[in-house]
Amino acid sequence: MGNILIVAEITNTGAIREASYELVSIARKLADASGRDIKSVVIGSGVGDLAAEFASKGGGDTLMADDAALSDYNVDGFSRAISAAREAADADLVLISNTPAGWDVAPRVAAGLDAAYISDCFNIELEDGNLVFYRRVFNGKLDAQLSAEGVVVVTVQPGATEAYEGSSDGGTSALAVGLDGLRTKFVAVEQAEATGVDLSKADVIVAGGRGLGSPEKFEEVMKPLAEVLGGAMGASRPVVDAGWLEHAYQVGSSGQVVSPKLYIAAGISGAIQHLVGMKASNFIVAINKDPDAPIFEVADVGVVGDLFEILPPLTAALTEAKG
Amino acid sequence: MKVMVCLKQVPHQDARLDVAADGSWIQEDNIKFEINSYDTYALEEALRAKDAGEAEVVVVSIGPDRVTQALRTALGMGADRAVHVKDPEADASDSLGKAKILAAIAKQEEPDVIYCGLMADDGNFSAIPPMLAELAGMPSATGVISSEASDTSITVRRELEGGCREVVELPRPCLLAIQTGANQVRYASLKGIMQAKKKPVDVKTAADLGVGEQVGAGAAKVKINKIYIPPKSDQAELLEGSTDEIVTQLVGKIRELGVL
Ligand SMILES: Cc1cc2nc3c(=O)[nH]c(=O)nc-3n(C[C@H](O)[C@H](O)[C@H](O)COP(=O)(O)OP(=O)(O)OC[C@H]3O[C@@H](n4cnc5c(N)ncnc54)[C@H](O)[C@@H]3O)c2cc1C
Ligand SMILES: Nc1ncnc2c1ncn2[C@@H]1O[C@H](COP(=O)(O)O)[C@@H](O)[C@H]1O
Repeated sequence: MGNILIVAEITNTGAIREASYELVSIARKLADASGRDIKSVVIGSGVGDLAAEFASKGGGDTLMADDAALSDYNVDGFSRAISAAREAADADLVLISNTPAGWDVAPRVAAGLDAAYISDCFNIELEDGNLVFYRRVFNGKLDAQLSAEGVVVVTVQPGATEAYEGSSDGGTSALAVGLDGLRTKFVAVEQAEATGVDLSKADVIVAGGRGLGSPEKFEEVMKPLAEVLGGAMGASRPVVDAGWLEHAYQVGSSGQVVSPKLYIAAGISGAIQHLVGMKASNFIVAINKDPDAPIFEVADVGVVGDLFEILPPLTAALTEAKG
Repeated sequence: MKVMVCLKQVPHQDARLDVAADGSWIQEDNIKFEINSYDTYALEEALRAKDAGEAEVVVVSIGPDRVTQALRTALGMGADRAVHVKDPEADASDSLGKAKILAAIAKQEEPDVIYCGLMADDGNFSAIPPMLAELAGMPSATGVISSEASDTSITVRRELEGGCREVVELPRPCLLAIQTGANQVRYASLKGIMQAKKKPVDVKTAADLGVGEQVGAGAAKVKINKIYIPPKSDQAELLEGSTDEIVTQLVGKIRELGVL
């Protein structure tokens, strides 16, 4: 049996990402139960302090892939660094966060090792001595339990576990990585465009999803409800992809993260990328005709039914209640 | 120039999903299938490359008989040829096995660019594109929402979190995994559909591609033990009654929040 390698991630403001400490929680749980050791790797340029910090806060012995060529994310360079770290750490379980960098590099690392890859796990357990992996499938409508053979590269869903808050007494050491002939070239990170729509300030957000069916229905059903509540409109990604609303209205991991007093989700299934954008809302009302829709897991109040039958009379009743 | 598009046929987004008797996947009989949503954007990117110059577009899919329909649709939209890997063992492979099959096709076809979707709407693995790129010896970028080609390279924008984007330059040949919303997907025209009937669909097995031994259920390193409806949390209070009763309860709740 090998060890566990944690791949810590550095944010663009130069800190260890919270999700990396969530990987520590999972690694600690599995290490204690399976007799594996925990090792970590920090990849970047001038990462000595961050590596020392990670080594002392749960990461254990931490390798430093430290090179000017790694100062920005680069799939070729990072995959080489992770592969080198895996070998140095003698790991058969590699934990990476399912972030834009994580999902970009992790499958490449696995393929390079001719190894198993399991993405976006919300939990990993040791059952009867074997690792089992839990993840969502069908955009959250079903869960799956999986197992793997040999070396396994895993990405873990950010936010699925608490961050580790304990300490460890690991040391740091340099890791040599061959970085000649990198093909991909980092050019820049562009910040989100500022728009007139700032959903973070709205007290009420009335959000619609693919279940609305058309931009006309969106106008007809969602807009009057938003108006009577003095709130803003919001949307899931397919609504924006289809051009019914601008990107500024998108709620979720690749849109805005909001926490209004009231969030009404209509015709939205509740895929994790949407949930992370709105689950911190104070009060969530979900309307969906599918009783198994995952949106009901985060809702305070749910209505299983047709939004076209519920929302127009709701708008009318609210108008009346306001007097 | 030649471009290859990898597409998967997945259950229709509105299909009712029931767990199959053996518990390891869904019941596939009697439901409708469609091209994976991410892959429609990947195909559109490829067709735009064709519109912009001279490019042959080859669409590739691993899957059972029904996949013919998806490939015909892609040909109807403007793709030139299709390769259909029809082989139960190929279907039974894990992501790595499927990536090996697609890499074998890439080796034969030698495309300048491979377009994939970021993720398949069924398994949500987001695994095959970078794996395929690694096996085919190509650089890759995932979550691509725009691209600009020059003679030897492609500059892409990758979507990060919260509306941020990363700009990356890749030399060709390379693989791009496309995010939804990257473009506006065209429909197949009637003329296109008629022409598609005459376009070639090459049917192959993993053995034909020389990777028969390396793929299949036996070679799979990842196994789905079971799928199931997520256990319900009891957080949501489900409102019941007639529409009027439900509306009255909702108004009451909203009033309590003080947002009216
Ligand atoms: C990297 C990445 C980033 C992403 N970022 C985001 C993001 O920021 N935001 C986001 O939202 N998604 C994001 N997604 C997409 C996400 O995975 C889902 O595909 C998306 O959230 C689904 O949107 P939806 O719920 O509107 O559609 P669907 O999942 O198709 O759900 C439609 C729902 O409407 C219901 N419905 C249909 N008709 C009715 C009716 N008449 N009455 C009541 N209910 C009805 C159905 O039962 C269904 O539950 C991202 C995905 C990836 C891979
Ligand atoms: N059976 C398949 N045949 C061809 N391409 C596939 C297949 N499965 C997945 N892909 C490609 O890989 C992408 C990601 O799929 P996945 O890794 O399964 O989430 C898809 O969007 C397709 O482009």
